[in-house]
Amino acid sequence: MAENIYKPHLAKVVEIKAETGDIKSYKFELQDPEVRKTFTWKAGQFLILDIFGIGETIFTFANPQTRSEFVECTIRKVGRVTEAIHELEIGATVGLRGPYGNWFPFDKWQGKNLLYIAGGVGLAALRSSIEFALDTFKDFKKKTILYGARSPLDICYKDRFSDWEKVPDTEIILTADKGADGWKHKVGFVPAVLKEVHPSPADSVAIICGPPIMIKFVLKELLDLGFTPEQIVTTLEMRMKCGLGKCGRCNVKHLYICKDGPVFTYSQLKDLPDEY
Amino acid sequence: MAYLIIKDDIKNLLDELIKVKAVFAPKKDAEDTVLFGKLASGAEWYGDSLLTHTTAKDKVYLQSETFFKIKKDKNGVFLEDPAEPAETVIFGCRPCDARGFDIIGKLFNWSGFVDEYYTKRIQKTTIITISCEKPESTCFCTSFLNGSPVNSTGSDLLLTPLKEGSCLAEAITAKGEAIITGYSRYFKEAGAAEEKAKIEFKTEAEKKITKKLDLPGIKQKLDTSFDSSYWDTAHLPCVKCGACTFVCPTCYCFDITEKAFDNINSERVRSWDTCMSELFTRMAGGVNPRIDTKKRFRQRFMHKFNYHVDNFKEELCTGCGRCIKACPVSIDIRSVIENV
Repeated sequence: MAENIYKPHLAKVVEIKAETGDIKSYKFELQDPEVRKTFTWKAGQFLILDIFGIGETIFTFANPQTRSEFVECTIRKVGRVTEAIHELEIGATVGLRGPYGNWFPFDKWQGKNLLYIAGGVGLAALRSSIEFALDTFKDFKKKTILYGARSPLDICYKDRFSDWEKVPDTEIILTADKGADGWKHKVGFVPAVLKEVHPSPADSVAIICGPPIMIKFVLKELLDLGFTPEQIVTTLEMRMKCGLGKCGRCNVKHLYICKDGPVFTYSQLKDLPDEY
Repeated sequence: MAYLIIKDDIKNLLDELIKVKAVFAPKKDAEDTVLFGKLASGAEWYGDSLLTHTTAKDKVYLQSETFFKIKKDKNGVFLEDPAEPAETVIFGCRPCDARGFDIIGKLFNWSGFVDEYYTKRIQKTTIITISCEKPESTCFCTSFLNGSPVNSTGSDLLLTPLKEGSCLAEAITAKGEAIITGYSRYFKEAGAAEEKAKIEFKTEAEKKITKKLDLPGIKQKLDTSFDSSYWDTAHLPCVKCGACTFVCPTCYCFDITEKAFDNINSERVRSWDTCMSELFTRMAGGVNPRIDTKKRFRQRFMHKFNYHVDNFKEELCTGCGRCIKACPVSIDIRSVIENV
């Protein structure tokens, strides 16, 4: 019989980095050298992380397949399992299974402008896609990253921005809902900054991830700017257990977010009931 | 090729099977409730009730299944697989229950992702089904394509009681064939008269099922009724107990949790879950896309008669009617979907 779909690969925590007060980034190294060679994924897919003795939960791969020496996740402390993750120390053994779900359709985006719009820890779900686009930058035109957080202290991946900006035709626009002393970037909500920046929809794709309220207003702005539903892509999350469309809880209509998503275009979503 | 088995020999056959396999059959418990229980002798089989209180689903798809045991100590983490499932016979289930295994079996193999716990168990299980002579008012199996009191989908061996104190025995799969050849002293070849008697049995039994749903029509209605005000009131009597989902032969939704015994030992466990529970879709942080009872109620019927049909071209229901009997507030699944 084929591999047991519920059984994780063992991995060790090799690096922990505090991003903000409640967000940490982790690097995991798969223990079995054979698995390390064959374990691959595509930007946008997710994995199930297993904290033995506590339970499992779902995270997106934070790093793309072009930087796949380790498996990386960026995790906000929000519930029982993520609290246990935040307690992990270097050398701890965890389990990983996956990859699950679909991925960002880069093959359809060749030669286009990419506009990433993220809020809060939502940037973690887009990081794999952003870094994949930067690693293969010749395939795309301008890469714009509009990122907002509650406050300057809540900005995730601060130390990655200077490397990202070094890639030709890449621009990062940062905003905080509330500014602070020394904050040299924009102040205001992401949708308002988007309106001010006024990106052209010509030959562009907008990729968004953030809290539902941000997504709602960003969608409105993008449509006002002339983006068509086909040009808007987002990634959804719902409670999941299996990752393979079997446990029955992450459906929106007949689609399972874990299996048919998590990446959807707005043209797909607008025909689905608002139950996610 | 069809065979005959005398009703008195069925108990003898069960006595033989018990020696080599775990045999589960309808059996009265201490409170006279008829449930699938493990037989110690063929005489324990209680064949007089149409439907057991709950299905035989839990004999293959365990209500609580240990995926693996975890030992975490200073030497690392070790995962231990559970024991291989035993050879099992489910005897005396009804065609609706047997068809339930066929339906959830497809889900457990969906998109090439094989659930090995379900698959290993069903491979080691022989399902011996008995056709329904006296369907009840809650039965509606004939609403489904191929659904009938004599349907063989999901069964390995189908027994149909005939008037002369014997049953027509039809092997549906190799596992069913193996029962007939392995215990051939209890089976003799049936003739044309008995095969004809089965057709009469079918006609008579089907006549007793008066409720027939227009399922393609209902599917079409459900396609456009997600936002219908119907759901605002339809869910009101529901107390969200989830009994309907636990007695259902096709409800398959599950949870995966960790059962920790101490700081070293734990188990990864899969258990039946219910879409009627608020926790079912509640995420860490508190967001819940189906927080209203209306949404959970709608999900149950949409899943069974709309979404599942989109994905599998068949309903997630066999018409056994157990949910109608189990519901503490008398919600009838048939009227819920007909009245949309």
